[in-house]
Amino acid sequence: MSNQPNTPVLSTSVKDNINNFRCVLGSPNDLQVKEITLGNAHPCGVVGIEGLTNKDIIQDQVLRSLMISLTDSNKNIPVSGEELLLFVQSEVLPLQAIDVISDFDEAIRCILAGDTALFVEGADKVLMLSTKGWKSRGIEEPQTEGLIRGPRDGFTEDLGTTTALVRRKVQDPHLRFDTYKIGNRMKKDVIVAYIDDLANPKLVQEVKRRLVTLHKDDVDGSGLIEQWISDNYLSPFPQILSTERPDKVAAALLQGRVAILVDGTPFQLIMPITFATSLHSPEDNYQNWMISSVIRLLRIGAAFMATFLPAIYIALTEFHHGMLPSMLAFSIAGAREGVPFPAVVEAFIMEITLELLREAGIRLPKPIGQTIGIVGGLVIGEAAVSAGIVSPIMVIIVAITAISSFALPSYSTAISLRLLRFGIMIAAAVFGLYGIVLAFITIMIHMVNLRSFGLPYSTPFAPTFFKDITNTAIRTPVSHLEMEPEMLKSGDHQQNHNRKR
Amino acid sequence: MGIFNYADEEIGQREITMTVASMIIGLGVLTLPRLVASETMSSDGWISILVAGGIALFFGWIVSKLCGRFKRMTFYEYTSLIVTKPVAYVLTLLQAVYFLMFCAYEMRAVASISKQYLFDRTPIEVIALTFLLVVIVAVSGSRVGIIRLCVLFLPIVLFFVIVMLAFSVELFEWENLKPMFITDGKHIYSGARQVIYSMLGYEIVMFYSILMRKPKESTKAIIIGISIPILLYLIIFIIAIGIFTREGTINIMYPAIEIAKEIEIPGQFFERFESVLFIIWIMTLYNTSSIVMDVSVHCLTSAIKKLDKRTCLLILSPIIFLISMFPKDQVEYVYLGTIISIMGIAFAAIIPTSLLIVAAIRGVQSSD
Repeated sequence: MSNQPNTPVLSTSVKDNINNFRCVLGSPNDLQVKEITLGNAHPCGVVGIEGLTNKDIIQDQVLRSLMISLTDSNKNIPVSGEELLLFVQSEVLPLQAIDVISDFDEAIRCILAGDTALFVEGADKVLMLSTKGWKSRGIEEPQTEGLIRGPRDGFTEDLGTTTALVRRKVQDPHLRFDTYKIGNRMKKDVIVAYIDDLANPKLVQEVKRRLVTLHKDDVDGSGLIEQWISDNYLSPFPQILSTERPDKVAAALLQGRVAILVDGTPFQLIMPITFATSLHSPEDNYQNWMISSVIRLLRIGAAFMATFLPAIYIALTEFHHGMLPSMLAFSIAGAREGVPFPAVVEAFIMEITLELLREAGIRLPKPIGQTIGIVGGLVIGEAAVSAGIVSPIMVIIVAITAISSFALPSYSTAISLRLLRFGIMIAAAVFGLYGIVLAFITIMIHMVNLRSFGLPYSTPFAPTFFKDITNTAIRTPVSHLEMEPEMLKSGDHQQNHNRKR
Repeated sequence: MGIFNYADEEIGQREITMTVASMIIGLGVLTLPRLVASETMSSDGWISILVAGGIALFFGWIVSKLCGRFKRMTFYEYTSLIVTKPVAYVLTLLQAVYFLMFCAYEMRAVASISKQYLFDRTPIEVIALTFLLVVIVAVSGSRVGIIRLCVLFLPIVLFFVIVMLAFSVELFEWENLKPMFITDGKHIYSGARQVIYSMLGYEIVMFYSILMRKPKESTKAIIIGISIPILLYLIIFIIAIGIFTREGTINIMYPAIEIAKEIEIPGQFFERFESVLFIIWIMTLYNTSSIVMDVSVHCLTSAIKKLDKRTCLLILSPIIFLISMFPKDQVEYVYLGTIISIMGIAFAAIIPTSLLIVAAIRGVQSSD
């Protein structure tokens, strides 16, 4: 914008300024302009956008102070515009955040962000009053990551609330919030959060380096940032964890990880992560270690089934009948009698139906969304079986697969496994179990070569960090638990290491 | 985006141990009980295995001493220090050819065993080709990645083998092992000769020492890495004899897999455990294949500076495929195996020993 020749600049005349603002914004009807006179001879203008500003603050604090209190008090009002501006800033307005701005573009941007501008005749600067205040959602329970035991607060779309929630959980003077304005056209507030003496300085530097390279007009939500700064865009796996739980972010920060907090979305980003961390839930730390360990093993089983179960069914029924116990083989063969398709087609039909149901369930309004699950799952499944399109065993397999993928704590991991499932099903259809094991090997190759901000995705298994394995597949008792992962090689790890527990 | 590492492009002792073990454990163990039993009497093959293991440990120690002298150097670089550039050049290229043939041999074995245990209709070429493609995927990634794969797969493989062996205990009969100590020295020796081919593979450390944090500490890693397969061979051999008797073992093509066929898993979920075991076994065969192919590529690219990794892979893959499809029948295949074994003895024992001797006489080692 600043490159255009006819860009307006702030002038000393209130009228010109207001006209320029109107002109640039195209005189919208939510632009509120109020012209007043200070004392007797000083014209002023107050400009803000309705809905983005807090009306109470403007009326009670700004206008009342300027129009009534100033006149009532017998203070000496300076004559020159510049001095008057500073006088108003430091002595008249009872507001905490007031900036003096001399750049027109910046002024416009501030107004669009919810601030209120105050012009004074004779000064080519503008006072920017922080009056942001719009209707925002209150703190609610996270929609996508529910827990039985644990805090119930979740992030909201408001960045102020987000940072406050994180600070509430991490009361550490070393907590750093480094703010960046990202985006070419719309400058969005993005905060890189980390704990100064825990996070690896090289990691923090790398996160910032990648963040500032982001060149998009509109940085819409954290998803775009996630994709932009990920190590490998060809990977189905999430290399950055997104969460709407403050306790997850707090725990990650205390482990020496880095978080990116983005304005306008409840989903905040944590990095670096490994595959093992994506199977963790904060609840693991709130419960007895035995229960948590068993549940984690269950989740690993769930991840395995969500990825491989339909493929194994295909391989066993199409290639290796002999591997099933004969009774089971007979009952499967009996159930499949009359089904006109091979197991692959059957599996694909049911899996795609399931994905459709899931997608439809999200789109529909909530009360109907729940019923579609029942209608889809039960009625279609039942009807498909009695129509002889699929076998009842297939319905069981699909149901178990679906339940398993819902049991995973990280939604983005679950969807990447969903995607892999179809590939593995094709491999199984062509090569049976041999195809499945080759697919498994390929996924593993991808994982050992994949990095999340330099951290190999297969850590702590390979490269091996024995101390960190105690907090992956199982969770050892709290007294033995290494809370700060060795693999992150964080700043004060060495000291903590020597400290007696 | 960007290059930023946690300095983990290096490997330590644990990784070397696992890599050596997964390199050695492979095809050999499947046929080993038959080969050893056919040379020795009764259950005396275990002496052969120990003897061969001892020899392997000795040469493994030599390899580690050789690697310990040079830090952060490729095989080509340090051999050219020891025995002038042209000799090093020839040696490195010969190694590349050897590992290339090894990879082809391994691939052919995977294909033919898969055909026997998993499918009967799929052509052997297709099975081998898919396997080769997956090997190429790993080799085109980072070298450390291949070592990490070993670290991931070896525990899985060993776990399944232990499960298999644990269930086979009830079929085991002590009577089959008797009488003991009836084989004479000559037959023990010829049994050991069969085992030594299955003990080859520790020499790959010569090519991975460039990645090691402290090459001087590789001795312990190699010794443990070789001991794991020795132990595994011993147990599998004794159990095979205990279940099938010596005479039975001689007549079974792959005794190690057939053990799995005999056992019954409680709950009867898998009727044919041998297929499951072979599926798992593909992982370790895969590890061996990807290591040898990687070493082959590494030899070529380190000796010929202009050759880049991708081009090298593009040239090598068809050659490997052709070599693996070359033997028309089992006889020719065994012949290929013999050639590779003889080359292997040369590269795993003679070359490291002579290099170490020359290096010691000339006092060559890296500066730090």
